[in-house]
Amino acid sequence: MSFSLSLWVAGLAGFVALSYEIIWYRAYGVVSRSMPTTFGLLLGAYLAGVAAGSLGSRAFCHDDARLERRRLLPVAAFVYLANLASFLVVPALARLVTSVRWQLSLPLVALSAGLLGAVLPLASHFGIRPDDRAGARLSYLYVANIVGSSLGSLVTGFVLLEHLSLRGASVALSLAGLALFALLGVSATSTVRGRAAVLGASAATLVATVAASGPAFEQLHERLFFRKQFTADKRFEHLIENRHGVIAVTDGKVYGGGVYDGILNVGLRHDPNWVFRAYALAAYHPAPKRVLMVGLASGAWARILAGLPGVERLTVVEINPGYLELIPKIPEVAPLLKDPKIEIVIDDGRRWIQRHPDARWDAIVMNTTWHWRGHSTNLLSAEFFELVRARLAPGGVFTFNTTLSEAVMKTAAVTFPYAQRMYNFMVVSDSPVAFDKARWKTTLTEYRMDGAPLLDPEHDAWDKKRLDDLLYLPDTLDRPPVWEGLESRESLLARFGHLPTVTDDNMWCEWHPSDLEEEDLSPRELDEPVVVEPFHERVEVRAGHLGRDVELVGDRLRDGVERGAPRARQRAPRGDADLVEREVELGVEIEQHARAVAEHGEQHPRVGDDGHAAQRLTSGGARRVST
Amino acid sequence: MTAASLAVFVVFFLSGFSALVYQVVWQRSLFAIYGINLESVTVVVTAFMLGLGLGSLAGGALSKDPKRPVLLMFAAVEAGIGAFGLVSLSLFHHVGMATLRLPSLVTALVTFVLVLAPTLLMGSTLPLLTAHLVRRSGNVGKSVGVLYFVNTLGSALASIAAVLWLLPRLGQARSVVAAAIVNLVAASIVGGFALVERRREHRA
Repeated sequence: MSFSLSLWVAGLAGFVALSYEIIWYRAYGVVSRSMPTTFGLLLGAYLAGVAAGSLGSRAFCHDDARLERRRLLPVAAFVYLANLASFLVVPALARLVTSVRWQLSLPLVALSAGLLGAVLPLASHFGIRPDDRAGARLSYLYVANIVGSSLGSLVTGFVLLEHLSLRGASVALSLAGLALFALLGVSATSTVRGRAAVLGASAATLVATVAASGPAFEQLHERLFFRKQFTADKRFEHLIENRHGVIAVTDGKVYGGGVYDGILNVGLRHDPNWVFRAYALAAYHPAPKRVLMVGLASGAWARILAGLPGVERLTVVEINPGYLELIPKIPEVAPLLKDPKIEIVIDDGRRWIQRHPDARWDAIVMNTTWHWRGHSTNLLSAEFFELVRARLAPGGVFTFNTTLSEAVMKTAAVTFPYAQRMYNFMVVSDSPVAFDKARWKTTLTEYRMDGAPLLDPEHDAWDKKRLDDLLYLPDTLDRPPVWEGLESRESLLARFGHLPTVTDDNMWCEWHPSDLEEEDLSPRELDEPVVVEPFHERVEVRAGHLGRDVELVGDRLRDGVERGAPRARQRAPRGDADLVEREVELGVEIEQHARAVAEHGEQHPRVGDDGHAAQRLTSGGARRVST
Repeated sequence: MTAASLAVFVVFFLSGFSALVYQVVWQRSLFAIYGINLESVTVVVTAFMLGLGLGSLAGGALSKDPKRPVLLMFAAVEAGIGAFGLVSLSLFHHVGMATLRLPSLVTALVTFVLVLAPTLLMGSTLPLLTAHLVRRSGNVGKSVGVLYFVNTLGSALASIAAVLWLLPRLGQARSVVAAAIVNLVAASIVGGFALVERRREHRA
């Protein structure tokens, strides 16, 4: 092999290898729910494969064969197999995870990377003479490989994934890999017939790849997302793929990068996503003129915040512009894009705040993602809280979602002199934090969404109960702490003060998902637990303070999977985001039932999945009513 | 395989291990400063790779002269990486805070400069050790294959260890100190062998 050819081989191999790594990371990010370990495990498998490939390549490095043309054939074969295996990693992952854990697919990554990794040592052997300049020539080859890798990162990350789906990008990479195969194959043969055979094989493989990509990538994202819960009838209503990630919508729920992002709901009648927490800003601040929101997602919160009393300007910083494509498709939130009060900035939230040192806000709001996701520390550490603190106007409040991380609650409580917990949110400030019950009532009764009131307590029994429940919220501050209520800073520090403060350095929240001890915050103070004996499932339910908004805290076994709220979270694999979805599903289900009971009386016959167990739940107990 | 060759492989394994620990930690540190949007991620990753590439060229250029003591140079490079590692996070933080408000192009350049010194050193290690082994074996493919294997294996293990053990238990700063210690141990081992070899050659 000529040295110039070996440079091309090294460069193209680097391009293809790093491009595939980016494609794989995209798929693994979705399937793993962006856990902080994903990158390391994927890279570890990738590098282990590369290491094994480089070792295996020694078998082809015969001293006497360096100048023989035909010795390039094994290199071409490696490239061909590597290309094929790499192309199949994502479809294979999507199928494997419907029955096994995603980590078990990592050997496929190692195998593909191993085949790709053999190419550089082989190109080195066949392209470099073993003399005193070997080290220098190797450096050129290494540089060619790195330049190819860098280009692969740029082209695939910025161009392919911006304009193509995972399927399209994979086919494009397969084309690049086949070009490398053709280059080596043609160089390895000296006859016209031989070269024609190589080119023919390349073209045939490309045609076959394109044809097979359809079935191979069919319902790819649904498989990656639903994993063991995948069934052929599951299809996303909306799917947006761009270079920043994947946004999917199913059953009114929005998922970003495979993780629950929110529910397309802005109302209080049916509030499975606890969107009342957005309205509650009005109870903590009389007139937040300038509001900053980090994270837009589905836009429900932005829509609500912009309509709160006193809000003159709402600046929203969102990292993924894909949401701006989604929002116009959702009637509930589409108007926010035309709201003159709202300014949307596409940037990293922390960086954007740092780059605006002179700005001050009356309220900073973050309903951001789960604390156990990779890089969540950037928005949940003491350093970030100090940054936010410096940007609050006098009397300003910072309210954000802890996603029930006790360490994050503690961190906020020690960073700010005044703090209060509201459900899974913290409300913190340099000024006293108080939930104003009168303003809360005014907001709930006078707020208009598209001209309509949030609740109609005078004409609708369910709405009246909802209003009563919501008005009860501030009263929980004086009671033993429950998750579905308010809690003082002193109580939080007494319970969680022993935990480490989350810092940029320790990234505690990412590595230590919330491990709530149910006993710590038992709602028994309000309602004794009750056990329902359904026909097919055992469900233990316990009423929360909101009465009909019953929280399911027990076991619910279906399809062999534990479902439920805090206790189930404890038992599930740490950070298993499937729970998030199940929790929300149950919230919807229970609320639907409770509403039906309110409307039709106690004999209303159902809650439950698939016509199975039916329970009815009230704040005072639970009774099975029907199937 | 001689003891010296074995030492070279062990050391290169350690070198690959520490390099990946640095990469994982530095990436996280820089993402916290410059953001985790795709543009920032690309700048950081590309800066790493370009630094490694330039370092490879530098290492290759240094290794051209057969009289140069490549093993000793490798030891010096490892010590340099370790020394940089010890001050790296503090350096990133202060430079990052000072330059954060500058235009994106400038911050991209700053990021590149920040990681240039250590990645130059890291990139130079493979050509240096390749030159060392080729002088003995005369086989490029086998030399590169084994070196690449041990170095990449070290990196693979570091990648997994970083997310399963190092970062969760030690955090960023102490993980970097651990990596720096590994560099300094590697430098000591290979430096010791290089000095012994040079004495033997002088005697011969």
